[in-house]
Amino acid sequence: MPGERAALIWGVVATILVVISTIGVFLVAPEDADQGVIQRIFYFHVAIAIASLVAFAVACVAGILYLRTRNARWDDVGEASIRIGLLFSVLVVITGSIWAKASWGTWWVWTDPRLVTYLIVVLIYAAYFVLRSSAEDDRRMRYSAIYAIAGFASVPLSFYSVRVAESFVHPVVFTGSGANMPGSMLIWFVVSQAAMIALFIALLEVDLVGRRSERALRRLALRLENA
Amino acid sequence: MSGGAQYVVAAYAVIWFLVLAYVVVLGARTARVGRQVEAITRMLDRREGREGDDAAGGAD
Repeated sequence: MPGERAALIWGVVATILVVISTIGVFLVAPEDADQGVIQRIFYFHVAIAIASLVAFAVACVAGILYLRTRNARWDDVGEASIRIGLLFSVLVVITGSIWAKASWGTWWVWTDPRLVTYLIVVLIYAAYFVLRSSAEDDRRMRYSAIYAIAGFASVPLSFYSVRVAESFVHPVVFTGSGANMPGSMLIWFVVSQAAMIALFIALLEVDLVGRRSERALRRLALRLENA
Repeated sequence: MSGGAQYVVAAYAVIWFLVLAYVVVLGARTARVGRQVEAITRMLDRREGREGDDAAGGAD
């Protein structure tokens, strides 16, 4: 089956990239002169944050495609993407808090726009599953698709908040003029980013294979009961 | 560990613990699908056995 093969290929690609990025981040990348070893959290923290936003973008596109085609496959893609995006978002919040404790001496700063707007994004996408459980069948898919599209509006809010806010403690590494880091660090960030995107795709493919199998089994069981 | 290395290890451990937990959840679902396939296979086997008995009874 093509889905299973894609899941296997992406699983292998993700594993290889994760191993390479781990070796690179911990053994090859130079230590930051200002933050020291703590800065190494950056490679995974930011890469997972971007991968989570990619997952929400995929869910938004899947929502649009579901509304256009009414194909349940897009509902599967949307739900699985948001589930993985939410997992990644929780990881971003936890690793960010650990980094904040090590760097700023506190687990959370409520006055920082990036932290608060990102938490809002997480809560918005957590509410997606509450909405899904409140409706059935076609209505559930339709409401979920609309929510996934509307929810994506919160992503630019988080992305640009730190750039437009007057006061903040959260650093901005990537600006309009490029990355604010040397090439020897940037290369390992790019590898980490590729690893996290590959991990997202691998988890998505495995999830979709499972959903397709469950759906096929339900249809088969129904036909056997009626036969 | 010094210089905040314990924070880096903690962050890295949290990431892979949660990702691994998610993979375990996906694996549990795959195992459930496998059990359902087995149940359907048993149901088909019983049905075929019954049809076989009926056919044999009709021939008598």
